[in-house]
Amino acid sequence: MSKANKKAHFNVFIRETGHHAASSKHPSVIPNSGLDLAHFVNQARTAERGLLDSLFVADGYAGLSRRFEPITLFSAIAALTKHIGFIATVGTTYNDPYHIARQFASLDHISKGRAAWNIVTGAQSAAHNFGREEHPEVEQRYKVGEEFVDVVKQLWDSWEEDALVYDKTNDLRLDTNKVYHIHHQGEYYKVKGPLNIPRPPQGYPVLVQAGSSEGGKELAARTAEVVFTAQQTLGAAQEFYSDLKGRLAKFGRTPEQLLIMPGLCPIIGDTEAEARDLEEELFSLLDTKHSLSNLSRFFTVDLSEYPLDAPVPIDKLKPAELFRTGITSRRDVIIDAAIREKFTIKQFLSRSAGGHGHITFTGSVLQVADFIEKWLREGGADGFNLLPPIFPAGLESFVDKVVPELQNRGIYRTAYEGTTLRENLGLARPENQHRQVWAANGQTIESAGAF
Amino acid sequence: MSENERKVHLNVFVRIAGHHAGGWKHPDAEPERDLDIDKYVELAQLAESGLIDSLFMADNYSGTGRRLEPFTLLSALAAVTSRIGLIGTVSTTYNDPFHVARKFASLDYLSKGRAGWNIVTGHSPEDGNNITKWGGYPEPSKRYEIGDEFVEVTKQLWDSWDEDEGRGTDERNLKINHTNIHEIDFKGSYYQVKGPLNIPRPPQGYPVLVQAGSSESGKELAAKHAEVIFTAQQTLGAAQEFYTDVKSRLAKYGRRTDELLIMPGLGAIVGETEAEAKDLEEELFSLLNLKNSLKQASRFFSVDLSEYDLDDPVPLDKVRLDDNRIGGITSRREVVLDAVRREGMTIRQFVNRSAGGHGHVTYRGSYIQAADFIETWLRERGADGFNLLPQVVPYSMETFVKKVIPELQNRGIFRTEYEGTTLRENLGLARPENRNRQIWTARYQTVKENVSEAVN
Repeated sequence: MSKANKKAHFNVFIRETGHHAASSKHPSVIPNSGLDLAHFVNQARTAERGLLDSLFVADGYAGLSRRFEPITLFSAIAALTKHIGFIATVGTTYNDPYHIARQFASLDHISKGRAAWNIVTGAQSAAHNFGREEHPEVEQRYKVGEEFVDVVKQLWDSWEEDALVYDKTNDLRLDTNKVYHIHHQGEYYKVKGPLNIPRPPQGYPVLVQAGSSEGGKELAARTAEVVFTAQQTLGAAQEFYSDLKGRLAKFGRTPEQLLIMPGLCPIIGDTEAEARDLEEELFSLLDTKHSLSNLSRFFTVDLSEYPLDAPVPIDKLKPAELFRTGITSRRDVIIDAAIREKFTIKQFLSRSAGGHGHITFTGSVLQVADFIEKWLREGGADGFNLLPPIFPAGLESFVDKVVPELQNRGIYRTAYEGTTLRENLGLARPENQHRQVWAANGQTIESAGAF
Repeated sequence: MSENERKVHLNVFVRIAGHHAGGWKHPDAEPERDLDIDKYVELAQLAESGLIDSLFMADNYSGTGRRLEPFTLLSALAAVTSRIGLIGTVSTTYNDPFHVARKFASLDYLSKGRAGWNIVTGHSPEDGNNITKWGGYPEPSKRYEIGDEFVEVTKQLWDSWDEDEGRGTDERNLKINHTNIHEIDFKGSYYQVKGPLNIPRPPQGYPVLVQAGSSESGKELAAKHAEVIFTAQQTLGAAQEFYTDVKSRLAKYGRRTDELLIMPGLGAIVGETEAEAKDLEEELFSLLNLKNSLKQASRFFSVDLSEYDLDDPVPLDKVRLDDNRIGGITSRREVVLDAVRREGMTIRQFVNRSAGGHGHVTYRGSYIQAADFIETWLRERGADGFNLLPQVVPYSMETFVKKVIPELQNRGIFRTEYEGTTLRENLGLARPENRNRQIWTARYQTVKENVSEAVN
């Protein structure tokens, strides 16, 4: 695709009240809707009206939350939508590859090809909920995760496309010569296969990743098709973009096979002044003390003891090693922006409250479109993971105002390109690898035979 | 409830290919749509139009016979139905209590209180080759031990949030009141789970707990935990025995007899007239792959039946009773063997019978006769309801909804509208109390304050 034809892709990160830390207090927000399916179906329908590519939810297996589990939520929304994709976060540290391969395959069949898997190893420990002594270190998590993904792909490939025949005349439902054991015996998993559900409509659900650390980038270059990342400036985004795209060649992949989508919290108004007013309004609703104490964990001092207009005390930063268990790259991004742009504490707070580490952009409809166009054209992004500050208004204004502007500029679709998420993202359907895998292992293909 | 007010409960066992082994070849069947959600939606909405209590999905983790996975399918169906219950099978042998508690809670919220969990300990030894957990297939007694503990952990996780999670009057305050959420600190032989769960208590308290095992330990586990039992019974006499046996075990767990509903499986071949039903039965028999059916029957009896004439009696004297290859539902096997023995079945009769009900009772007759059958089992305490196994989909379901259900309603033994909005309400089951205070008090522990931050 030539640069002039390049079109933006959009995912929306759906949530109960919004991505601004004060969203629940905004008068337009319907409170207590985190476990109300209708609330999320409304978000999905709005997104689909705006021709957005997909919906996304984060996830974890510890702590407290008042929200649906992703696979079940997206299965329900799939029954009530037609085009929008579903990116579900599922961790590889506390799950089993057979169940996960199967649940994603099932979601992909139910949605007729709209499933995607945001693969995480989980920075947050859930060891105490799964009878484990401790949360594995990041290196170990990546090793387990790599094997996990490998097993899952093999399971998806354990059925040939045309294994189900339903030949009433010859009394044949399944051609058992087209279903295979995988006989995986790895360091962490032992799985014979085959999977008990046919290959997903998309071959594999779209594979998404979010880690931006060195190890994360390398894993993404090898396996991911969409990367979510937190970038605070175009310069940093361009660096990340060319770094990651530059790694693809060594894995035999081309730059279009991976889409980079930074997070973006757009605070939109008809005019810039209107947008600023909304930003101020949201800031005024913020529990400043609570937010400051949250941010203070990065520092050796309590930020609430400083005046809001004082500069961020960069010299009081804690060393990065202390955050090794968290999303280190996310922290680096915020701190980096604070240093480069000489934030005051208020600016730092406002910026962090909007997109929890992702960039917040406040402006008129035209300015938001300009921002998107610039990042798109200047090699900072292939699209954005939208984090509306408030639901549903923040998503509605994007869909009803920014989308038409982007369409006028020719940088956004005017109709869905296809029926699957892969088709809409311009990603090829992966070939069934099993013949390759067996050949590489020097094995003959062994049919699973009669069951 | 007086005898005259007793009503039958009906569940539909979802299988797009139909439950008769030849059903998928029937002209009305569309087995090739068994991965198509629209086909399931049609079936679910048809069942809901007939005021059926619930849909049920069987499951396991091996082979190639399964299609859509229960959590995903039932969640999708929750979005396009409003009253029918959604019962998913999930094994306690090959899962984690935390994930299972959470997914059922999520399904219960998505459906606004219509989730049910069919608790199985796993009936395919091959599952152990696919799930790394135990490095194989634990023995039945160990599976029951694991299962018992699994269910206990899951209940405690559901109880780890008080009903009033402490949002108080300020519904815009999303901070969770930690004094109303508790760590469970469960330390068992198989599971160590600290909790709390990361989703509030399900709308029904617990999803309805269903069980299918009919072995001795299965009955005991059911008497302790289950609220609905699916069982395979071949005769009213055997059903009555089972019914009395299980109901009488409830008292020792402090439960009343109406706190558990017994629902035998029923493969009904129904027509406008008896002759019409008979025609359908013959049509279905003609669609059977006799070679396969004989092979299956041979596996079941551990005897090669192809060496016998179809009209020979089943050679029961050759049957090995302790064959490990059967592995799974031992009680189901006994039920069938018992029927074969008592009725002196020929091989043909056996094949015919098992083609329709795979171990469950089959009944062929007019819709009036089918209603008689149901009424007799209900009134004579063989059943509180039935787990229906539609022989041909959608044909059998349509006939049942259009013919049998109005007949049952005329007789006053089936509802004319849903009693409530949750599965519990429709089944007449109470919402379980939150036991967390009980548990904590029993352990002489003070209710712990959980200090984790809210994540969203």
